[in-house]
Amino acid sequence: MNRLNQLAVNQDGFAFDPMTGESFTLNPTAAAVVKQFSSGASTKEAAEHLTQVFEVSAEEALRDVEDLVSRLKNFNLM
Amino acid sequence: MKNLTVALSGINAVDNPGPGTGVARSLRESPEFGGKLVGLAYDAMEPGLYMDWLFDRRYIMPYPSSDADVLIERLLHVKRNSGLDCVIPNLDVELPLYLSAQEALKSHGIQTFLPTRDQFRLRSKEFVGGIAEKIGIEVPETAVVTSEPQLREAAVRLGFPVMVKGPFYKAYKAYSLGEAVSHFHKLAAEWGYPIIVQKMVTGTELNLVGVGDGEGGDLGLVAIKKMWITELGKIWTGVTIKHEGMLQAARNFLAETKWRGAFELECMLGHDGLIYMIEINPRFPAWTYFATGVGINLPLNLVRAAMGQDVPNVPDYEAGKLFVRYTYEIVTDSAPLQELVAQGER
Repeated sequence: MNRLNQLAVNQDGFAFDPMTGESFTLNPTAAAVVKQFSSGASTKEAAEHLTQVFEVSAEEALRDVEDLVSRLKNFNLM
Repeated sequence: MKNLTVALSGINAVDNPGPGTGVARSLRESPEFGGKLVGLAYDAMEPGLYMDWLFDRRYIMPYPSSDADVLIERLLHVKRNSGLDCVIPNLDVELPLYLSAQEALKSHGIQTFLPTRDQFRLRSKEFVGGIAEKIGIEVPETAVVTSEPQLREAAVRLGFPVMVKGPFYKAYKAYSLGEAVSHFHKLAAEWGYPIIVQKMVTGTELNLVGVGDGEGGDLGLVAIKKMWITELGKIWTGVTIKHEGMLQAARNFLAETKWRGAFELECMLGHDGLIYMIEINPRFPAWTYFATGVGINLPLNLVRAAMGQDVPNVPDYEAGKLFVRYTYEIVTDSAPLQELVAQGER
């Protein structure tokens, strides 16, 4: 079950799941990645997006995205 | 509805709050209602008796352990003195009595909108597993016990921690056999048998309030998640949700039972993604005003249905609306208390 697409994320990074009522706080990096995933990007594409928006190497960006993916899976969001 | 007088119970707005004041507030604030409200209490200290902005008249009632005739006589007294068109019982323990009295009340022009005796029995804690299966959701492994040896066997079989529940009210988590036995005796002494022992399911607690139309449909459904609860498990902060599985389970419940009246589904969304039925309450929950606040006035719809009026299409509600309960104090002189104690009404 992919609940990520239905998350409502505001500009401060507050994310609300209307199905379960759970809420999460996303830092700007996580918010950018979640936005990418919600519009259908792959892990690689999301990491590439991070290198364009933040001053970060491709390697570090990919590691951050993979780390976030594992956290999202822990919360049953992916 | 301007000429209607509606009486309702459960106005004990205390730490384990009854639903009555939320139900009364829903009617009082509705521009469509505009009728009179009567508060029914079992104790002169029930806070609702002092909320003069909610109730036009207040009566102390005979305990629900008495005969139906005693209840009917008291309600006829209310009718003679204040008028009475509809009564909404809001407490589990008084529902069997109201079920016995509903036909007689109707013959006196006092309407109710209650489930049938069979529907009421089906949702009791002993039978809730059967209903859960029929409406397509899970139920935690459960044992119904009436003796300490049975309890010991069930608790060990289900594994700790385990939930120990009374037949009407209260549920305790037990981490050991000693705790389970202690809860068993406490609950049996307070509420009688049977005692329900249930395997613990962890996850997100989801709740739903609704009114069944008695024909398999609904007069409104609102689902929420409790975000912050008291030690007794009572909601203090909550948020509306749109969990399609939960809403569908409620629709299935209504279609399966043709439930008539208010109800609350208490479920757990397990980490496995499955919905587990915890309990079905045959009345409004204490957080009913939350539904009213998001545009679904369930008490108003119940009164409409009880009075045989058409219920307009129920609007949709938004997920993400917040409910925040708070405490409040009333300072008054002792005249209302004296009147209630001496006269049994005011």
